[in-house]
Amino acid sequence: MQKMAGSSFPEEVLEHVFSFIQDGKDRNVISLVCKSWYEIERWSRRRVFVGNCYAISPRMVIRRFPEVRSVELKGKPHFADFSLVPDGWGGYVGPWIAAMAAAYPWLEEIRLKRMVVTDEGLELISKSFKNFKVLVLSSCEGFSTVGLAAIAANCRNLRELDLRESEVEDLSGHWLSHFPDNYTSLVSLNISCLTSEVSFSALERLVGRCPNLRTLRLNRAVPLDRLANLLRRAPQLVEFGTGVYASELRPDVFSNLSGAFSGCKELKGLSGFWDAVPVYVPAVYPICSRLTSLNLSYATIQSPDLIKLVSQCQNLQRLWVLDYIEDTGLDALAASCKDLRELRVFPSDPYEAEPNVSLSEQGLVSVSAGCPKLQSVLYFCRQMSNAALRTIARNRPNMTRFRLCIIEPRTPDYVTLQPLDAGFGAIVEHCKDLQRLSLSGLLTDRVFEYIGTFAKKLEMLSVAFAGESDLGLHHVLSGCENLRKLEIRDCPFGDKALLANAAKLETMRSLWMSSCCVSFGACKLLGQKMPRLNVEVIDERGPPDSRPESCHVEKLYIYRTVAGPRFDMPPFVWTMDEDSELRLS
Amino acid sequence: MGRAAPSSSSSIDSSNHSSAASSSSSLSLSIESNSKSGGRLDLTTDLRLGLSISPSHYNEFSAGASPRYMQQPLNWPPIRSILRSAHAGKSHDLPEHPSLFIKIYMEGIPIGRKLNLFAEEGYEGLIRTIGHMFPTTFITDSSADRVHSDKYHVLTYEDKEGDWMMVGDVPWEMFLNNVKRLKVLERVGD
Repeated sequence: MQKMAGSSFPEEVLEHVFSFIQDGKDRNVISLVCKSWYEIERWSRRRVFVGNCYAISPRMVIRRFPEVRSVELKGKPHFADFSLVPDGWGGYVGPWIAAMAAAYPWLEEIRLKRMVVTDEGLELISKSFKNFKVLVLSSCEGFSTVGLAAIAANCRNLRELDLRESEVEDLSGHWLSHFPDNYTSLVSLNISCLTSEVSFSALERLVGRCPNLRTLRLNRAVPLDRLANLLRRAPQLVEFGTGVYASELRPDVFSNLSGAFSGCKELKGLSGFWDAVPVYVPAVYPICSRLTSLNLSYATIQSPDLIKLVSQCQNLQRLWVLDYIEDTGLDALAASCKDLRELRVFPSDPYEAEPNVSLSEQGLVSVSAGCPKLQSVLYFCRQMSNAALRTIARNRPNMTRFRLCIIEPRTPDYVTLQPLDAGFGAIVEHCKDLQRLSLSGLLTDRVFEYIGTFAKKLEMLSVAFAGESDLGLHHVLSGCENLRKLEIRDCPFGDKALLANAAKLETMRSLWMSSCCVSFGACKLLGQKMPRLNVEVIDERGPPDSRPESCHVEKLYIYRTVAGPRFDMPPFVWTMDEDSELRLS
Repeated sequence: MGRAAPSSSSSIDSSNHSSAASSSSSLSLSIESNSKSGGRLDLTTDLRLGLSISPSHYNEFSAGASPRYMQQPLNWPPIRSILRSAHAGKSHDLPEHPSLFIKIYMEGIPIGRKLNLFAEEGYEGLIRTIGHMFPTTFITDSSADRVHSDKYHVLTYEDKEGDWMMVGDVPWEMFLNNVKRLKVLERVGD
């Protein structure tokens, strides 16, 4: 193999080669080869992903990557989804938009998750980037339909507007009318999170004039009898989300709708189905065999109707459904949907003491046996056993994401009354490529020993009401080599494990601990000793130094950063850093 | 068929030391604000039994209470509020978790915050919570406390009729029935 002298390779050639490499991690590796590769790479990087918006400053990103076209940012910790992060914590995208408006005039894509976006920010986006194409706001908040109107009015080249699960202040449905009459480039529109009505005529005209529309997800407020018209204007749709899927049965409405669905020959994914009534479900039967993705999280139909539906979806790869499906429905799923990759079963009545449906560990065992490609599971249930978990693990060593939520905290194996350590141990032992795991049920420090020993590819772990001592946390932090995100609530983990594994925290994106046993003193120590970590104490009882140092903090969020402590914190968040001794005393 | 009492493995012995401390302090607050609201004691107590056994107090009450819904730890099970609220208004006699979320704005700050009024014991609890959300100095009504300071804050609310009123004018329960949103205003001087 002949050696090539570095200087004999022109930059243009290297740049061309690099253009085939899109993945950020690969590009990071390339940039480490030598100085000239670093330079060429940084000028040619077009996409940047920042998993924690506080890990770096906008200025630093812009300085290194001056020609970026696509930015993805994430803000609040994952537990914010379950209201564990108090309002006002942070995650403001404003400073990023301001910096990018000046530095990236050719920016095309902005994707945000769990960030606070304002109407002013949206307006700035709409006016600063002439070629703006994609706006995805996932679980964001802080803006209203006024900001959306600005986007609609000013972004002439917009392809994608996706507001998935964001909280939008719905001031008026007329924002949709701000898309100009000559605007035709829409490819994807997801407004499923909006609470009030959008103007139907504007929607119909918009859908009708955008021939490239592939994804359309409506909000609950769109009545069932409007769907047929929309579908007929967009027969090229690949993904469709209905509005409320309930109405009095009218044969003309039914046949119109069914015909409209049949006319969509490319339709592969369905969602919406709020308050679905059984009588209208058969309207989708003609297209079931083509479906690869079905989201029935809001569909209140019961097991028999669900069985009839899924039994016809032989090509289904992803199913999100309520526990109305029951064990019998999951048996049918296992029998019919051999291509299933992902299953999520949500609880219909999580706050009732008594189960309202006949869904147990059996349903999951069935699917694990019948669906050879199943690799991603999110399952809410009320009982589990070590035997079932062992079976699932043996059936599906290809599992990569396994999230189990047994609704009552600290529930033991219902057969043996033992902790579920062995069951989860089997999962991590057999599923060697497991990337994400959520634990529940009665668990001792043992399960963490198994995780530390076997879960070598694990990147994200969620723990609640588990463990007995610091040893549990220590096993995880010292054993899981690829751990990036760890979130813990209500566990007896404290100072010892945290301080002993301080260095590990710099190799991770973040650690969240709430209602655990970490003392204020330990937080201060950690903050002082680890300058490349931001150690943030969240405590709504008032300043932590008004209580003894041994007092446990309410919530703790630790993340690695090259940007130093942040300055946009609300009154109930304190950063422990080198200066904290001085500032707090 | 009775509801199963929480099993011994439930969170009565959870590690919520800190919340146990705060719940007892806000318990005593509720008794104070009760008397402040002036004499409607019986009604208030009835309402409180339904409302103020908020999840942060469950440690104290779960032993004896017979709720029709499960006494779950706060924000558990981990389902998104979007999914939770989609099922709200199904056949439930009692709300899953009594909550009244309203928006609160501070003058000069464009981003509002959300506040669960049912989680507060009364006006004092409310003021404390707001004090943690925004840097504020509230001055209580009793002018005896009034300190000559440069800047202080005043809490107002928008009622059902769209009028802006001073918070604290009416009994707590009446306030809960009428409030649509809150705003903290800045005042300067004497």
